[in-house]
Amino acid sequence: MQKFMIIGERIHCISPVIRKALEERDPEPILKRAKEQIAAGAAYLDVNIGPAEKDGEEIMQWVVQLIQSECDNIPLALDTANKKAIEAGIKVYNRSKGKPIINSADAGDRIDNINLAAANDAMCIALCAKEGIPRDNDERMMYCQQMLERAMEAGMDPEDLLFDPLFLVIKGMQEKQVEVLEAIKMMSEMGLKTTGGLSNVSNGAPKHLRPVLDAYTLAMAMMCGLTSAIANPCDPKLQEAVKTCDIILGNTLYADSYLEL
Amino acid sequence: MAYTKVAKKYSGKINEVTLGTGDKAITIGGRNVLPFHHFDGEIGHPPKVGIEITDIVPDDWNNALKNLYGDVMGDAAKWAKYVEDNYAPDFICLHFVGASPDGANKSVEECVEVAKQVAAAITTPLVVAGCKNDEKDGELFAAVAEALQGKNILILAAKEENYKTVGAAGALAYQQKVAAESSVDINLAKQLNILMNQLGVKAEDMVMHLGVAAAGYGFEYLSSTMDRVVLAALGQNDTTLQMPIITPVSFETWGVKEAVATEADEPEWGSAEERGIHMEVATAAACLVSGADAVIVRHPKSLQTVKSLIEGLLE
Amino acid sequence: MALTGLDIFKLTPRKNCKECGFPTCMAFAMKVASGAVEIEKCPHISDEAKAKLSEATAPPMRTIKVGTGDYEKALGGETVLFRHEKTFVNRNLFAVQFADQMTDDEVSGKIANLKKVDYERIGEQMHVEAVAVKYTGNKERYLDVIKQLKDLNKVFILVCDDAAVAAEAVALVKETKPVLVGANAGNLDEMVKLAKDNGVVLGLSADTVEDLYALAEKAQGLDYKELVLNTTGENIAKTFEKTIEVRRTALEGKDRTFGYPSIVFVNDLAKDNAYLQTALAATFILKYGSIIVLDDIEYANALPLFALRQNIFTDPQKPMRVEPKVYEFANPDAESPVLLTVDFALTYFVVSGEIERAKVPAYLAVPDAGGLSVLTSWAAGKLGASVIRDMIKNSGLEEKLTRKRLVLPGKVAVLKGEVEEELPGWEIIVGPEEAMQIPKFLRELN
Repeated sequence: MQKFMIIGERIHCISPVIRKALEERDPEPILKRAKEQIAAGAAYLDVNIGPAEKDGEEIMQWVVQLIQSECDNIPLALDTANKKAIEAGIKVYNRSKGKPIINSADAGDRIDNINLAAANDAMCIALCAKEGIPRDNDERMMYCQQMLERAMEAGMDPEDLLFDPLFLVIKGMQEKQVEVLEAIKMMSEMGLKTTGGLSNVSNGAPKHLRPVLDAYTLAMAMMCGLTSAIANPCDPKLQEAVKTCDIILGNTLYADSYLEL
Repeated sequence: MAYTKVAKKYSGKINEVTLGTGDKAITIGGRNVLPFHHFDGEIGHPPKVGIEITDIVPDDWNNALKNLYGDVMGDAAKWAKYVEDNYAPDFICLHFVGASPDGANKSVEECVEVAKQVAAAITTPLVVAGCKNDEKDGELFAAVAEALQGKNILILAAKEENYKTVGAAGALAYQQKVAAESSVDINLAKQLNILMNQLGVKAEDMVMHLGVAAAGYGFEYLSSTMDRVVLAALGQNDTTLQMPIITPVSFETWGVKEAVATEADEPEWGSAEERGIHMEVATAAACLVSGADAVIVRHPKSLQTVKSLIEGLLE
Repeated sequence: MALTGLDIFKLTPRKNCKECGFPTCMAFAMKVASGAVEIEKCPHISDEAKAKLSEATAPPMRTIKVGTGDYEKALGGETVLFRHEKTFVNRNLFAVQFADQMTDDEVSGKIANLKKVDYERIGEQMHVEAVAVKYTGNKERYLDVIKQLKDLNKVFILVCDDAAVAAEAVALVKETKPVLVGANAGNLDEMVKLAKDNGVVLGLSADTVEDLYALAEKAQGLDYKELVLNTTGENIAKTFEKTIEVRRTALEGKDRTFGYPSIVFVNDLAKDNAYLQTALAATFILKYGSIIVLDDIEYANALPLFALRQNIFTDPQKPMRVEPKVYEFANPDAESPVLLTVDFALTYFVVSGEIERAKVPAYLAVPDAGGLSVLTSWAAGKLGASVIRDMIKNSGLEEKLTRKRLVLPGKVAVLKGEVEEELPGWEIIVGPEEAMQIPKFLRELN
């Protein structure tokens, strides 16, 4: 098994600092977060520039080149609803450390992003949802299948799809949690790769509980076969969980100092 | 249906480590494929083979080897030169069996003198091995590393018990290469590499000594340890395990019954020298296909044979 | 090898017709993968897909039986490329090669060696299991050599690509289920017929991996699956490549066309260099040779090769154990000390190796300690004072020794008092904690 992969989530326009930096094309705050996440072990960085309807193409190209040139071509997940911005970002993207990931396609309006990924030899996060939250796992798996078919028709290798079962908030949807884990298990048994926005689970919880909820959810999800997550790599509790699960699952070799690596 | 090759591409690569200086310097490692899998990718540097000599006349060596070397065995520097001139191994391993407090108990100063003379007599890269006493080896290695500064020797080896002394003196203070020794314990192998690294020893100054066993004497543990280390280094891109591997085959093979039993003990078995060579080349070959990037042998015929095998596998 | 839901999904018509009772083809495929539903529940699945599925659930590499009766051996049947992943199943066979151009002296010399090298090592009888007989043009002599070898009760490997000669050779030994290494692109039809008619395992030879694949495919097309693949190439590197490619295509590529045992003629590669032949044989013991052909066998090459094979084919889940008994070193007498260790092979080897090194006469008593290391077996109650007492009492050592000294492993020094109570008349000595210290300990023991 491959080591678990963290896609660093901290370059996101929802953060005022990042939003401002993107608007003003100010490299400092963005690079700071990029470097912190890489140092903490992120394999990919998610770059969310928001809807960016106006100047999305220009912003995406600027930020992709900025991060890659300063951070040894770290691979990126391009995260925006603006398709043109994604295409523009891929044009300037350096593949030496890994393919770009398109974040994301779904089984509804954004299913075309799968074709966009296929046409550009990119990977794609496939969100198993259409409108809102899937009712149950039958619906989830139907979406999963629809997107898989679309990808295979377009000539994509299923390895390049990361299926997102859609992690749900615990405080409010506690009864749905086991179902999400089961969905991950089914997808893993099908031989598919999986990912998801992990911190969704702890939304609205007190600050000191969020790392706890995230870490334990992740551990249980890894047991079900989860292969990556969009998460905060700088969270030590989460790092502990990932590294320890990787050891237990045999994805890395044990050494007394494994947590220090 | 046409044949489809199962291509194996690994994300990791074995580090390159150079020993010795000048024309005869050697480099090991550098491959991103399993041993001798030239059909899969970058094969890096061919594995290297060295010959073992000792600091004092060894009392337990096979008589044929004693006859072969004769008087030069009494002087390690002459012996080393003789080996260099006549057999041209990739490197020479000077094994300080005489340092053992359980044996001749030569002082560190005496050993350093021998090391200096040997290093001065040859241009072939030098590997220095200890006497299995961790404390004595620690002192010995620190002193030898200092005395041979600039020769780029390999110290065989630092262990959990003495890695601080050996690593600090060998690699940090005097810029020699250091092997990290773990006795067929994969987690210790990784841990020791991490500890050495935390001490400040750079990965490219290190090799691994994962332990050694003769064919038939728990060799499966060694082979599987090597398999797992190599698969982690290449497949999981585990940078803490990407050091090349050195295996001192001769330290074990000449001590097992198959090689030691005299012709009087086992009349049907035939010449002890022949048995020793076969045991040595079988074990060395098995180590090489399991992942060793360098092996140490004792008999010149073993050297020749293992070199031919390596050339043959990479032709 | 189990198929994933995705693999099965690819075989479904993907119409979501719901006739199987599931909402989508994907849902159905997942149930099939988990074994909960039969593939037949889908009315639209093609016969081709069904065949694929049933083939996919068959083992990736066939087990081929050669020889008969007490001399029957199984080859192949492997499921992993590295022994730590599970275990290697069927140990390779060694063969010694004869040929029609050999003189009577050469033939009888090799026969004598085959008979001589036959010994026990850790519960296993070590000897060469097969004889290869190569045809180089002299038919009468060829058949004559085969006849001379019949009494040896070895598995026959007939190396002959002349179908007419092969037919006569097979007729001589067909009841022994031999291997006929002789099929190539030029004679496949004839050879398959000969093999089929006589129940012979057929060896296929071709220059390249691709050609070998095409040949195996053709043989399968003729409905013959009792095959062995000759992976010997023009040189060492090519042979190594071919042997590896064949095995991993079968196990990792899940392609059963290469799912057969291999045969490697290391004798041809070594070109009369006996040391190189040993090195090559060791290489192919580890790397996927199923039958390894040698020029000759003597103790010098047998000892390391059989020992290596014994190690490599040990099941990692079941560690190798040595026979519980008293072992002797350097002709011990009535005064020599008795050391104690456990029957876990690795521990035994380390301890016995150090005693050998010490060159001091000694006994080594090995009780049945469950095949565990010293501390583990002590913790598990398998190396207690009573076990040690029974071992010593039943060994006959008490009668033999005038000076009774028992050396306990240093790691179980805690047992000293109890053992002293159980074994009156014995001096119980605590030995070193590490085997390495044994030589010094023994030399200083008076």
